[in-house]
Amino acid sequence: MGIRALRKISFFHLSFLSVTFFITLLLLLAIGSLFFVPSWEDVAQNIWSPEMRYSLRLSLITGFISTALVMLFALPIGYALSRFHFWGKGFVKTITDMPVAFPELVLGLCLLLVFGSTFVGDFLNSIGLNFVFTRKGVAAAQFFTALPYAIRIMKSTFDYIDPRMEFISRSLGYSQFETFFNVSLPLAKNGILASTVISFARCIGTFGTVLILAGGSYMKTEVLPITLYLNISYGNMGMALTSGIVLMVVSFLAIFIFEKTEVGF
Amino acid sequence: MSFLKIEDLHLNLGEFFLQEIFITLQQGDYLAVIGPTGAGKTLLLESIIGFWKPDRGRIHLVGKDITDELPEKRRIGIVYQDYALLPHFTVYENIAYGLKKKEKEKKRIREKVNRMAAALQIDHLLHRTPTTLSGGEQQRVALARALIVEPKLLLMDEPLSALDPQTRREARSLLRKIISGSHTTVIHITHDLDDAWALANKVAIFKDGKMMQFGLLQDVFHCPTNRFVADFVGATLLEGKVEERKEGFTIIHVDDFHLVSLDESTIGESVRVAIRPENIVVCKSIPKDISAQNIIRAKVEEILSEGTTCVLCLKANHTAFSVFVANNAVERLDLKQNDAVYAVIKASNVRIV
Repeated sequence: MGIRALRKISFFHLSFLSVTFFITLLLLLAIGSLFFVPSWEDVAQNIWSPEMRYSLRLSLITGFISTALVMLFALPIGYALSRFHFWGKGFVKTITDMPVAFPELVLGLCLLLVFGSTFVGDFLNSIGLNFVFTRKGVAAAQFFTALPYAIRIMKSTFDYIDPRMEFISRSLGYSQFETFFNVSLPLAKNGILASTVISFARCIGTFGTVLILAGGSYMKTEVLPITLYLNISYGNMGMALTSGIVLMVVSFLAIFIFEKTEVGF
Repeated sequence: MSFLKIEDLHLNLGEFFLQEIFITLQQGDYLAVIGPTGAGKTLLLESIIGFWKPDRGRIHLVGKDITDELPEKRRIGIVYQDYALLPHFTVYENIAYGLKKKEKEKKRIREKVNRMAAALQIDHLLHRTPTTLSGGEQQRVALARALIVEPKLLLMDEPLSALDPQTRREARSLLRKIISGSHTTVIHITHDLDDAWALANKVAIFKDGKMMQFGLLQDVFHCPTNRFVADFVGATLLEGKVEERKEGFTIIHVDDFHLVSLDESTIGESVRVAIRPENIVVCKSIPKDISAQNIIRAKVEEILSEGTTCVLCLKANHTAFSVFVANNAVERLDLKQNDAVYAVIKASNVRIV
C-alpha cells in the first residue's frame, strides 16, 4: 500500500516539479552566463573606467535619494489605504497601482509631457526643479516607477498589524501621530525594510522611464541600465556585461533581504 | 448624577450594528455585558472608548458629553481578549507606556509599575517580552497596563475567555480583589455567566445589536423580561452559607433548606449558588431510590406556558425559583396552582459562583 501511495504522489509531484525545475534551470543558466561569458580581467578593467564609475556613482546617488523619497510618500499613503475609509478610495488605489502594469516607456512619456509642457512643469521649473533631460529627472523617473511597489508592500504590512494595538495606545493618552510613531512604525519594521529594499532595486534598475524623461546621454544622465543599453548599441559587450553584473548583484541582494523579511506582497 | 450615561446610541458598520442602547452606571458599578457572538458587544466598548463615532445618541461620562471627544482625551482603559500587548516592548515598557505620557520622572514611573506588578503578581516578569508569557500572565500585564493610568472607566472585552478553567478561576478572584480595591467602574463583556455572577452588580443582555435587558444582576437573572434573556441567563441565584464538607460534597444552608453541591468551598463561607431552571426535575410524590442529592418540597405558585415549554414558579417556604418543563409534563402530572411538588436537583447542577 505504501508503495502504491508513493507512486501516485510521485507522478503528480514529478510532473509539477519537473516544470518548476525546468524553468529554474533555464533562469539559472541565463543568470550564470552573465557571470561566465566575460573574462574577469575585462570586468575588472571596465568597472574602473570613467564611464562606469560615473554611471555607478549616479545610480547610487539617485537610487538613495529616490528610495528615501519613495518611502517618505509610501508610508502615509500605504497607511491611509490600509486604515481609512474615504470617498474615492478605490479610485486612488487603481491610480497609484497603475504604474505597476504600465510599460515603463509609457510612464516616462506621461512624465515627460506633464513635466515638459504643462503648468505643473512650468511651476516646478520656476522653483528650480527641472526634470526633463536632467539628473533630477533620473531620480523623478525612478521615484514614480518604484512608488507603487512600495505603497503595495506598506499597505499589506499595515493590513497585518492589529488596529487594536493602536487603539490601546490612544486609550492610554497618545495622539494619532504619537501612536503612529510609537506603535505602527515599529510594528511595521519588517515591511519597511522589505519595501525599502525592493524600492531601491526598482530605482537602480529603472530603464524605460529614465530613458524617456531624463534622456540617455553619455556621462550626463547615464545610470547603470543606460550604460548597458548604450554599450550594447555600440557593440561594446565588455561594458554592457559589467553593468549587467552590477545590476544583477543589487537585485539579488534585494530579493534575498526581501525573502528574509517574510512580508506579503 | 450618573457616572456613565449612554443615551439612544445607534451605530451601523454594515456587518455589525447597535440600536437604541441606553445604559446608566454609577461610580463603582461593575456591568457585565452578555450576549452571543456578533451581538455588537465589542462595538459598544469601542464606541464608548471613541474608536467609532455613533450615528446617533450621546455618551456622557462624569457629567460631560464625550461623544465628540478624541479617544486619547477620554481616560478610558481597555483590555482585549487577546490582550494586544505591544510585542516590541518588554512587560515593563508595556505597563509603563501609558504612565510615561503624563509622568516624566523615571523614579516615580518605576515605583508605580513595581507596585502595580506586585499587586498583580507579575513583578518577576517585568524584563520579559510579551510573546514569552502564558495567557494568564499576558492577561495580568494587559490589566496592569490599563489600570496604572487610573482610568475613569475600565472596559474589558472577554478578558478571561482565552484562559484555561483553572487559570480563569484564579484570574477572576484576582480581578475581583483588584477592582474592588481601586473602586474602578467597569464594563466587562463576557459569554461566561460565571463571570457575571462572580464579578458584576449590573447586567446588560445583548442580541443582534439590541439591548434585550439591562438592570441589577439579581433582577435580570430572577425576572427576565423576555424569553431570550430567560433562556440565556435565567437561573435561580440563592445566598447561603457553607455548613459542612463531606466526601467531596459541600453542604450549603440557604434560607429555607439545605443544598448539596459538588463545587468546592470552605466551611463558614458565604456563597452564592446558581441553579438553572432546566436542570430541575419535578415530581408529584417524594421520589425514592434516586441518585440526585437534593430533593426540595415546594409549592407551585404559577404555571406560565411558553410554546412547547412551561415555566413553573415554585416556592419552598420563602425561597422562589423557576423550573422549565415540557408542556405535556404539566398535563401528565396534572399540575395545578398550589400543588405540592418535589424539586429534584443533582449535586453537580448546584453551582457555587
